[in-house]
Order: sequence, then structure tokens, then C-alpha cells
Amino acid sequence: MIAGAVGMLRVGIELAEPLSFSVTERLLLMALIAASLGVFAWRSWPIASNILHSKKDADFSLRPVGRRAWKFFWEVLCQSKVIRQRPLPGLAHAFVFWGFLAFALVTLNHLAVGFGHGFLQYSGSFGPFYVGFAGIWAVLVAVSISGLFVRRFVVRPKWLGKRVSVESGVIAGLIFVLMVSYLAALFVGDKGFAARGLWWVHTLSLLVFLPLIPRTKHLHLLLSPLTVFLKRPQFSQIPKLEGDEDFGLFAGRDVTQIIALQAYSCVECGRCAEHCPATTTGKVLNPKKIVLEMRSYLNTAGPGSEEPLLDRPGSAMSMEAAFECTTCGACEFQCPVGVQHLSILIGLRRGAVNTGAWEDRYGTKLFLALEKQGNALGMSSIERDKFIAKQEFPIFDGSQEYCLWLGCMGSYDPKGREIVSDFARVMQALGVQFGVLKKEKCTGDPARRLGNDLLFGDLAAQGLKTFAAAKVTKIVTICPHCVRTIATDWLEYGVAPEIEHHSDFMARHAHLLPKQDGGSIVYHDPCYLGRYRDVYDEPRAVVAAAGELVEAERHHERSFCCGAGGGQAFLGEESGERVSHVRAKELIATGAQTIGTACPFCNSMFRDALGAVGGENPPQLLDIAQLVARGLAPRALSSDAEEKSG
Amino acid sequence: MKIVVAVKQVPERDAVVRVAADGRGVDESDVAWTMNEPDAYALEEALQLKERAGEGEVVVLCAGPERVQSTLREALAKGADRAVHVVTPEAGEGSLGERDSLDVARLLAEAVRAEAADLVLTGLQSDDLGAGQTGVVMAELLGVPHATLVLHVELLDGGDGRRIKVKRELEDGWMQHVEMALPALLTIQSGGNRLRYATLMGIKRARQKEMREVQAAAAGKRVDEVVKVSPPTRVKRTEMLTGSADEVAAKLVERLRFEVKVL
Ligand code: SF4
Ligand code: SF4
Repeated sequence: MIAGAVGMLRVGIELAEPLSFSVTERLLLMALIAASLGVFAWRSWPIASNILHSKKDADFSLRPVGRRAWKFFWEVLCQSKVIRQRPLPGLAHAFVFWGFLAFALVTLNHLAVGFGHGFLQYSGSFGPFYVGFAGIWAVLVAVSISGLFVRRFVVRPKWLGKRVSVESGVIAGLIFVLMVSYLAALFVGDKGFAARGLWWVHTLSLLVFLPLIPRTKHLHLLLSPLTVFLKRPQFSQIPKLEGDEDFGLFAGRDVTQIIALQAYSCVECGRCAEHCPATTTGKVLNPKKIVLEMRSYLNTAGPGSEEPLLDRPGSAMSMEAAFECTTCGACEFQCPVGVQHLSILIGLRRGAVNTGAWEDRYGTKLFLALEKQGNALGMSSIERDKFIAKQEFPIFDGSQEYCLWLGCMGSYDPKGREIVSDFARVMQALGVQFGVLKKEKCTGDPARRLGNDLLFGDLAAQGLKTFAAAKVTKIVTICPHCVRTIATDWLEYGVAPEIEHHSDFMARHAHLLPKQDGGSIVYHDPCYLGRYRDVYDEPRAVVAAAGELVEAERHHERSFCCGAGGGQAFLGEESGERVSHVRAKELIATGAQTIGTACPFCNSMFRDALGAVGGENPPQLLDIAQLVARGLAPRALSSDAEEKSG
Repeated sequence: MKIVVAVKQVPERDAVVRVAADGRGVDESDVAWTMNEPDAYALEEALQLKERAGEGEVVVLCAGPERVQSTLREALAKGADRAVHVVTPEAGEGSLGERDSLDVARLLAEAVRAEAADLVLTGLQSDDLGAGQTGVVMAELLGVPHATLVLHVELLDGGDGRRIKVKRELEDGWMQHVEMALPALLTIQSGGNRLRYATLMGIKRARQKEMREVQAAAAGKRVDEVVKVSPPTRVKRTEMLTGSADEVAAKLVERLRFEVKVL
């Protein structure tokens, strides 16, 4: 590109510009600029005001600035996410974006010319170079914007929505005219009539473009760099409730500035909905509509409003939708402009649950089970005692290195118990000392995701006390939900001991694991391990030691949810198609002999799904710990699995 | 409409219960406490009655030491308007352990009298001692009609006719519907309603609600005496069913249906 520019430079390129402007022309120009800026300000003000008048984010801090700057560089300047997740349109978008940056100087010079102060000199070497450089960008932008235009109006991917957006067409047209008028000026020899005409066309396009920005999705041009820089640093961050009147997102008065900024930044690209397991299986929830509904709430009811956010007439932001979310985080991960759907969705749930507005038979049953029995399955803790005794798990007494945390699934679910037992065998085979707690209560994960702060807070505080009393320093567990909740969500109440998922643990010992020829294994990334914690390679290393690793159509950060998260495992029947069935079919379609999971919830969802859609010969379903245990010599220590076969 | 709900604090279902040193009670030192389940249903019924009537007051009442305030708070958090705590000593003379059902009923009836309630609700029995006496004895002491094993209460004549209709659970799935005049006392059976979950807002609001403490009268002379408390002895029985597969299956079904009662 640069070589090309230098080549052109030698030819001596110059931009055709009018030599001078009459007084009338200048007055007209000034009037037009003032009008354009005026309309721009008039249309932007209500938005800026809504954002500024929203509630302050009490927990906001610019730190870590370094991380924020890096995200800004990588996601905004390099357009990494846009390109990576949708390569072709992403690249086209990136060209338009970079082109705009390259054009900043040209545009400034262009307007300065109108006042007789053009500063790009064509006699030196920088002027011609830069004009040529911008010319290359103009070509790229013109081609890209035409491509995007064809995509939006001819191909029309369904995620962009049914409505054909006229203003997008107009804006694409304006951008095209801007580029072509610039390029034409490179080829017009004289500085007469043609040059003047082109100059005015370019100027008018610019001045029409500016006021169109605020009330269209092109507002993201201005807001999204800010949004990406300012977004909450953690994935699925759930802000602390402040004071006695904060119950989450109940009414407009609870909407914070960051949420408002994000709502106005949405470009309506539909990536969030395209990847959403609820939307794509025919449920009411559509994360894009939630964001747009939040925006329209701010536009109509206003930031300080007392009107409840949920269930306004005709609103997509409904109670039903909010409680269909699996908190898989695909939306938040995908969003190119930094919208954080989970703080919004979980915020809405908090607003409904903390005030008692959410009434749901299964939800209430779950909460009461957690209140009374301290576990999500509503079993008596005596059942756990019996299981521990039967498996002869050592009790943690402070002398062992690890505390093996069973979690609700590991304690009470039959399949979860098999997984824990097999993982215990792996630890024993590795000679690692561990013990289990005498009593365990749920980490509060389902309560947290469903927005029950009272219950979550109680469970977190009790859990912290239990670990402190037992003098635990290192925890290992089979459940990614426990890891996330203990390591991150509990921080509101205190710092828990270091916790590790068994995939990390086994990957560290990968060289000691038995090498097996266990056939083809397709690995399913659990949301709470992958997108939530960026752990992708470790479980794969474990799988690779047990057999031949196969990838499903969607994997790594694009992995599709099993349908269990966000408390869904405990709520009633889903509407539409079951999420677990969709994913199970995708895993089966790889033809792998075994499905490898790394989360007891995924495992239990697939167990049911395979029964329904697995056909005659469903693949085997095993946790990665079980994959490893397959390669261990059978031991006297019995696991449930052995007992069954024996 | 003013409804008083008398509740009791009992050990949690999963609590490890040990016999106390004197062998006549349970060791309370590391027991976790909770609201007696039928009382939780009585509270739920009261809250729903108030919601249906659109007006009224729900007062929760509990006798016991300091610790019972957590249960009263829970009731306030779920929506009760006020709490009355009849304070008894932690242990020794005058403590709950030293009082029989009649004596506790007297304490509660005394507090109810001061409230002049239209309706008194309480669980039909407690999960720990299970005497099932307190409610009916209170009705007798208060001189009001009562109904037991109530699943549901309906306000007649739009709620101001001072009459109610109650649904009682009889044996074997039979129900009885009884109309009664107010004031009255009802003992509530578990399972008639769906309980509500505690909410953060409820807990915060509960802090501002009134919790009145009244000192319990001195204990009267017991009419009964606890001689000894012992944990149930578990007997494990294994029985082999013999015969052809069909016979074994038939026998198994019979046992499951009539002895284990799971079919
Ligand atoms: S978290 Fe997952 S289920 Fe929830 S809205 Fe986002 S994509 Fe949909
Ligand atoms: S929220 Fe983000 S991903 Fe969803 S439509 Fe808006 S910009 Fe696209």
C-alpha cells in the first residue's frame, strides 16, 4: 500500500481544489456548517442528557487503565472482534473505519480550503503522499461500503432484523459519494468548475452526514469507542448493590450511566441474537431487543423514571424474556461495541426477585430448597454424608493439599457423583492429597444468576466461613459454576481460598496422565469455563491424552450453551426447542464416539438430550475426569460406574 | 381485618440433634433454627388473606428466648406488619423447656388478647414436639371457635361480613368446608399454599418494622413431665422374596404399595 502511494507520489499527485471562494460562498459555507452542527447538537443533546442523568455507577473505576487501553487498541483500533467473528463483513467494516481515520486529516484540510487555509501543500512531499495514501483508502472504503450495502439490502441476513433501514442506505450512499468525490478530485486536472463542483459535493455530503449520526445506529461512530473503553472490566460483572433502596434494575431510576451508554451504542448488528441459545430456539428472549428496549425506555420514560422496566405494554423487555436467559454470555462476548448484556439481564432479574415481583413455581421451590436444605436439588444433607462415607472420601482436616469441593451436582446428582468419584481416583493415582468438607452448602450460583441477592449473600458468607474454619488454602472442583461463583462473585463478601477447575488441575499433570487410544472425542466447551474464564486449551489437553480430539461446528468462544445455566436447570420446561437438544445434535453430527464434557450441568443436560435425540447408537457421554479415569487400572476403590458394571 | 399468626422456632430439618446431658431434652448448643413449617403456611395464608381483602394487619407472635427473633424477622421480611416477642429465659426456670403446651398456649393467648384479633392462625403442630395442642388450647383460653387441619380460608360477603369459610383436610383425600363466625382460631395444615421466598427488600423493610417484646409470665405448674428423650433406634430388615419372577414381582408390588406406601 505504502509502496503504491510512493509510486503515485513520483507522478506528482495533487487534489483539485477551488483556488478561491467568493464572500457569498463563504457565508453560505458558514451558514451550512452552523446548521449542520446545530442540527447535530439538537439531535444529540437528549441522548447525552439521558446518559448524564442516569444513575452514577457507584463501583466505577478507570482502573485497570492498561487493560482498558489495550482493549481499546485491540477491539476498536484493530477491529479484532469485528473481523474475527464475521471475517468478510468484518473486514469491510474495518476498512471503512480505518478509512475514516485516514480521512480525518483530509476532511480537516478540505474545510480549511473553504476558508482559504488549506494546509496540505502539494509542493512538498508529505502533501502528495498523504493525498495518495487517503486515495487508496478511499478506494477501499468505496468498495467496502458497496459490499456492505449489498449485504444489507440484497443478501439481508436475518439477524439484521426484518425492517429495512432506509437511513442505513442513505448513509452508505453518502459515504460512497464522499469517497468518489474525493477520488474524482484526484483526477481532475484543472482548478476550475469541476474542482469547485466536486468540492461542494464533498462538503454537502459531509454536512448532511453529521446530523444523521445521532438518531441512527451510526451513533456508534461516536459512542462505541467510549463504550468499549469504559465497559465493566469483568465478564458478566454483577455490580454491588448500593444502599438500602438498590434492588437491581427495577425502574428507570436504577439504570446506570454505563448501561445507558451501552444502550445507545448498540449498532443493531444482531450478533448477540444470532448466538443466543434462547433466541435461536424460539424463545421470547432476544438480547438485541432487550438493549434496544432499554434505549427506548430511556427515550420515553426517561432515566429517573419510577415506571418498572419490565413488562411495559408491548415491550420485549418482559419478565418472561429476562428469566429465559441461560447467562451463557454469548451475546456479551460477541457484541462489537461493548454492550454487556449480562449486567442488564441479571440486573433486571435482581430487580424482580429482590422485590418479590417474580413469581414462579419452580423458582420459588429452588429458592426455598436453597434456604432450607442449602442445596439446589433440595436433598437432605444426610444424602451427601452417605455418599462421602460410601466412597470413603477422606475428610479435609488441614493436612491435605487440596480441598475437593463437590458442589451440589457432585454431592447429590447421580452422574455428578460418578464424575467426582472418578476425579478422586485420578487425584489418588497422581498421589495428590485431598479431603472433602464434612458439610457443604451451595455456592449460591443459581441464586446469583437468578438475581436473589439475599440468598446468594447468605450462602456466600456461610461458604467463606466454612472454608476459613476448615483452614482450606486450595480448592479443586469439577464444576465451572462453582469456580466462577467462589472466585469472582463471592468477592463482594470476602476473599475465598484459591480455586481451580479440574481441567486446569489435570492439564498441569498432563504428562503424568495415562496415554490412551480412546477413539474420537468431541469436546464441548462449557460457557462458564470458556467464555467466562478463557479456559479452552487445558481441557483439550486432557482430552487429547485420552483419545482423538474432534471439534464441533461451534467451539471455543463460539460454543453453544447446553441450556442449564442461569438457574434454567431448575426452572420449568422451556418454550420452543430445547437448547440441549440443539447442542446434542450438533455434537452427535461430528460422528465422534464420545462426547467429552467439563461441567456436571452440561453432562446432565446432554444425558437427557441423548435419550431424546441420540437415536439408536448415541455417543458415550463422559466428563474429562472420567476420560482420564478410563485409562487408570481398576482399583478396589469403587466408583458408582464400576458398581453398575459389576 | 387483624390477623395474628403464632409461630414457633424449631430445629432445622437436617440439624444434628443430640440428647442433652440431663437426658430430658435436646442439646441446643449447635442446632440451627428455622420456622416451624406448618406455621410458615399459616403465615402465608394470613398474608394472602390480607392481600385478598386489600387491607388489614398481620401480626406475628412467638414465644421463646432471644434467638426466636430471627424467625420473627423472617416473618416480617415475608410481609408481616408487626412482631410480638414473648420473651422467656434461655434456660432454667421459665424457659420453654420447662413449660408444657398448656403453659405456652397461655402465654400466647395472653398476647393475642391484647391485640383483639379477628383471626388467629397457627400451624397445626410443631415439627419438633408435634403435640398439636397449642392452637386448640389457645382457642379454648380465648373463648373463640376453632377449626383444625385447615388448608384454605375464604372471606365471605366480601370480607366485611365477619364470616369465613374454611376448607379442612380429612382423611383419605376428603375435604370438609365449614362456615364460621369471626373472631376464630384456625390451625393450618402444610401444603395449602405455595410459600413465598424471602427477598432482600423484605429483609430491609423488616428492619424498620416494630418488634415489641413482652416479658413472659412465670411458668405455671406442669401437668405433665418429660421423663426421658432418646433418639429413635433404627432397625434394618432384609427380607428375601422367593418364588417365580411373576410371584416375586407381585409380592414386591404388594409390599411397596401397602408397607412402604410408595406406589
Ligand atoms: S447470555 Fe446467552 S441466553 Fe442470555 S441473552 Fe445472552 S446469549 Fe442469550
Ligand atoms: S447489543 Fe451489540 S451485538 Fe447486539 S445488536 Fe447491539 S451492537 Fe450488535
